[in-house]
Amino acid sequence: MIDTPALITALSADMSPVRRLKPPVLRAFGWLGCAAVLLMLLAVNRGIRPDLAERLQDAAFATSIAATIVTGMLAAIAAFLISLPDRSRLWLLLPLPSLAVWLSNVGYQCLTHWVVIGPESISPGEAMRCFSTLALTGMPLSLLLVVMLRYAAPLRPTAVAVTGSLAVGALTAAALSLFHTIDASAMILMWNIGTALLFAGIAAVFGPSTMGWVASRMN
Amino acid sequence: MTAREQGERTAVLRVIKAGTDRQEMPRLREIDWSILMARAQDGDRDAYHRLLTDITPYLRALAAKRLRNSDDVEDAVQDTLLTVHAVRRTYDPARPFAPWLTTIAKRRIVDGLRVHGRTRRREVALDPIHDGVAEPQADIFHHERHLQAAVDNLPPAQQQALRLVKLQEMSLKEASEASGVSVAALKINVHRALKSLQKLFSDRTKP
Repeated sequence: MIDTPALITALSADMSPVRRLKPPVLRAFGWLGCAAVLLMLLAVNRGIRPDLAERLQDAAFATSIAATIVTGMLAAIAAFLISLPDRSRLWLLLPLPSLAVWLSNVGYQCLTHWVVIGPESISPGEAMRCFSTLALTGMPLSLLLVVMLRYAAPLRPTAVAVTGSLAVGALTAAALSLFHTIDASAMILMWNIGTALLFAGIAAVFGPSTMGWVASRMN
Repeated sequence: MTAREQGERTAVLRVIKAGTDRQEMPRLREIDWSILMARAQDGDRDAYHRLLTDITPYLRALAAKRLRNSDDVEDAVQDTLLTVHAVRRTYDPARPFAPWLTTIAKRRIVDGLRVHGRTRRREVALDPIHDGVAEPQADIFHHERHLQAAVDNLPPAQQQALRLVKLQEMSLKEASEASGVSVAALKINVHRALKSLQKLFSDRTKP
């Protein structure tokens, strides 16, 4: 083992000036801005669902979409805050209220108005398009988030990865609801809760090591 | 109030004042650290060296509360210094330095505890008994000389049987052809030779 004074000398000799990170909320909005641009590009490319205006009249649908987007925004802010060593872990709770509204709304819709999967809902083409929206939204946003949150790797990697992935999952679910005609309850459940769980699961398993790898490459 | 009572009272007040001063120290020190870190972020190597040297005793005290072994404490201190180095961009000089540093240190100490817990489950402490693997070469030669002398003291028939069968590793049949002694007689002689050597050495090793 190298002795501590020698390590300190080595670290000071190795030191180069660094740019301080911008405030976490500002960085979160930077990421959310990128997400908004990506979603707009996808909307132009794919076109939003034809019955969107009509569906937004439905209070349950409008609440669901709003809660999904708010969950995404709050989860992103929470992830950027808790990635810093001197911020409280309690920020983890920030997205929970809107997450509860989003999930309970999905559950409530399923309970009160179960729409059976019709022949048009299970077309393989639509499922593939949904899946490609999921990948096209989720992957770039996750990559950008991993790069931006890489400093959390030696500190709270799992908490940051799961919160960050909740942000990605929520925004992806919002994109799916805006771009695709998903009306069957089973499909709504799958594409909303399934997406959130998918991203959170991937993040919990691979998030910490990926952030560590990116941090070691970029620092 | 007697003069003595008054003296005691002043002493108490002095003690309380000294305590308050001691509590003020870390806050002043923390501001110092915060300034040093801000300068280090701008590229001042001397400030960085001073900061790391200054925080080391604090980190050591923090680690010593949770870890018993002094090597483990030093490991945790060094891990914390390395993490501080890796994430120095995340410090905001507008905010207090101590919570930033303490979170990093606690995280590394807990990691240290986890690693040591795993190691303790897998490994056994090295006792002096584990050292007794081999004896020095000189001892082997010493034993060989004794063995040779013991073999020389055996009756000639037993000596011959032992040399052919055990030392030259011949089969009983080959040894019988080489020496002209029957297989049965060779067997008996080897057996007797080994038995007398065994007796000789076991007597010698007894305390």
